[in-house]
Amino acid sequence: MIGSRILLVDDEIIFANNMSKLLTSRGYRVITANNGESAIRELEEKDFDVVVLDLKMPGMDGITTLKEIKKLGLFTETLILTGHGSVDTALEAIKIGAYDYLAKPCEINELVEKIEGAWSKKDDGEKKDMQEKIQRVVESPADAFKLFKKKK
Amino acid sequence: MKKHFFNGNNDSGKYGKTYSKLFRNFTGLTIVCSLIPLLLVGWGINIHYTKFAKSRMINSIQSRVEHHGEIIKLFLEEHSSKLKLLAFTQSKAYLREPAHLQHIFEMMNREHNVITDIGVIDENGRHIAYIGPYDLMDKNYFQTFWFAEAMEKGIYISDMFMGFRKEPHFIIAVTRCEEGQKWILRATVNTQAFRSLVENVKIGKTGEVYLINKDGIFQTSPRFSGNIMETAPFPTGPYHDDVTVNLFKGDNPDASFSNQIMAETWLPNPQWKLVVKQDYSEAFADVNHANFATLIFLHLSAISILIVAVFITKYMISVIKKRDIQAENLNQQLMQAGKLASIGELAAGVAHEINNPLAIILTERQILIDLFGVSKTDDAEFSEQFKASMDQIDVQALRCKTITHNLLRFSRRTQSMIETIDLNQFIQEVIELMEREAKTSGIKFIADLDTSLPPILSDPSQLQQVFLNLINNAIHAHKEKSYGTIRITTRIDETKKGVQITFADTGSGISQKNIEKIFDPFFTTKPVGQGTGLGLSICYTIIKQLGGDIAVKSKINEGTGFTLCLPFDLPAELKESMMAS
Ligand SMILES: Nc1ncnc2c1ncn2[C@@H]1O[C@H](COP(=O)(O)OP(=O)(O)O)[C@@H](O)[C@H]1O
Ligand SMILES: [Mg+2]
Repeated sequence: MIGSRILLVDDEIIFANNMSKLLTSRGYRVITANNGESAIRELEEKDFDVVVLDLKMPGMDGITTLKEIKKLGLFTETLILTGHGSVDTALEAIKIGAYDYLAKPCEINELVEKIEGAWSKKDDGEKKDMQEKIQRVVESPADAFKLFKKKK
Repeated sequence: MKKHFFNGNNDSGKYGKTYSKLFRNFTGLTIVCSLIPLLLVGWGINIHYTKFAKSRMINSIQSRVEHHGEIIKLFLEEHSSKLKLLAFTQSKAYLREPAHLQHIFEMMNREHNVITDIGVIDENGRHIAYIGPYDLMDKNYFQTFWFAEAMEKGIYISDMFMGFRKEPHFIIAVTRCEEGQKWILRATVNTQAFRSLVENVKIGKTGEVYLINKDGIFQTSPRFSGNIMETAPFPTGPYHDDVTVNLFKGDNPDASFSNQIMAETWLPNPQWKLVVKQDYSEAFADVNHANFATLIFLHLSAISILIVAVFITKYMISVIKKRDIQAENLNQQLMQAGKLASIGELAAGVAHEINNPLAIILTERQILIDLFGVSKTDDAEFSEQFKASMDQIDVQALRCKTITHNLLRFSRRTQSMIETIDLNQFIQEVIELMEREAKTSGIKFIADLDTSLPPILSDPSQLQQVFLNLINNAIHAHKEKSYGTIRITTRIDETKKGVQITFADTGSGISQKNIEKIFDPFFTTKPVGQGTGLGLSICYTIIKQLGGDIAVKSKINEGTGFTLCLPFDLPAELKESMMAS
């Protein structure tokens, strides 16, 4: 979806910048972060549709970052980038709640495809969630209010 | 690859010294612990027994001489007392009557011929009566040595002497004093009877018994040493009371007694020495014989123990040697597995490190392509070249990617885990891995894969090991042939519970005799250093563990086929244990 907001997390600065350039030229709005901590900070400040997350990073690694993201309780979907050898970790990440994974090095087109997939899932999830909330507002407005408040 | 790991390490030569030392120690120990005690005990018992037997022997010879001495003494005493009785109960007047004397003579000899003659002699030495075979009536004995003695002592037993009759004999003389006048009753003992009493005692082949007087003159004929009345060629020694036994060993300077045992006792009256003598070797023949037999037996047992010890030790060492080689092989197999695992780790690290720059290269390429798309250049040649270069970058980067991905996959298969496996693809990968090695031996792979094969759940690292082992063996089986094929077939099992994978080669085949043993650990037909005999036993263990089965069919010179059956799913207990770990 053109205009989707993407957070690209990778410790390889050149790779992150290149990817950012490529995605920007394809119409996305991209912000890069070079480690887990700054990624969490960005997520707390701004809204993103999709997070592209490298698993192998110094300091806070991909899995921990993912867990932190999940703790934030956002609708953002996470896409894992990984070396082939850490497929197991990638699978673990999916168990925790990542949308999918992609092996490095990868074609830009593959990445775009996965981002689109992630986006539409996020969109679906948001819509469904909205519907649930509307339902609750109808049934019990007080509860729903609490839910909305917690979200922000 | 396998060959490389096993080159020439099985040589038992480097242990050669250890084994021969072991051999020496073992045999030494056996000798110290069994032979020496055996010999010591054997010799000890032998020495003790010999001593005992000898002392018994000496005792018996001693009692023998005592016994004989007693007999001779009794004989002499009996005759002297007979004469005494006669002299003191009859008067000279009565006895000088030839008829009376004749009667007495006959009475004395009635049972045994014990006296040869009898005579009465007056105090002047004149014969006044005589009965006997010789004509001695007119003889005067006044001058003889015995006359004075008899007159003085009352009784006298002479040594053997020749006397008037020129024949060895001895006499017993009894003196009686009647009305102040002394007269003598004298009898000659039947020398034959007396001598046979001594000379007829035969002891073995070398034994002799004789009497000898103080002056060293034989009183009876010894069997070997001389004749009666002759002087013995050796000293007699002084009179004494006890019985003595002497052993004369070979080193005795007195040659006449060398190697003899001699027992002697002195008679009191007359002072004659009774000697019993026998060759040492004969006297102790039985003892020596028994000794010899036990010693032979002892040493034979010692030798047989020695031989048995040597053989047992040799056997033991050969067993140890075999075990050592097996342990070494196992060790190498483990080392190989260890090496493979560390290679896997290294490969994974390298692949990771290469992936990152590769990813950057690809993004850079993409940026260039993007920019090229929006830029307007008229240079057709540049456009061509740009596109070609970009394609080439893509192709080469993809090649790198394949390599790193293969490396990563390989490394992953060095660790045990349960995974869903597409067997067809898996086999294709294994073939790719082995193709180069097979090609150099002129061997082609034929993959006959069933595309409808569903994925199975199994342990790829273990399966990889099995496949590589089977292919390695198949390649090796083509050593004698310049070309061949290895056909790998996958099929769904007839029972529909699993898959069947067949590895069929066109190699040497396996003989009927060997085919039962090929799954045994350490069974190999390959030269030392090339085969460990562990490959197939490992395959067997793995396949059984994965809930499958392995079977072999072979025809000599035509080829061999190994068929693996693997279940779609793993056995429950294996899954549980894998989960637990
Ligand atoms: N494909 C085959 N063709 C002929 N003989 C074979 C084949 N596979 C195994 N063997 C025989 O079985 C033996 C045992 O094989 P293995 O257990 O792998 O030990 P290794 O290869 O070290 O000898 C080999 O020595 C060989 O004689
Ligand atoms: Mg083998």
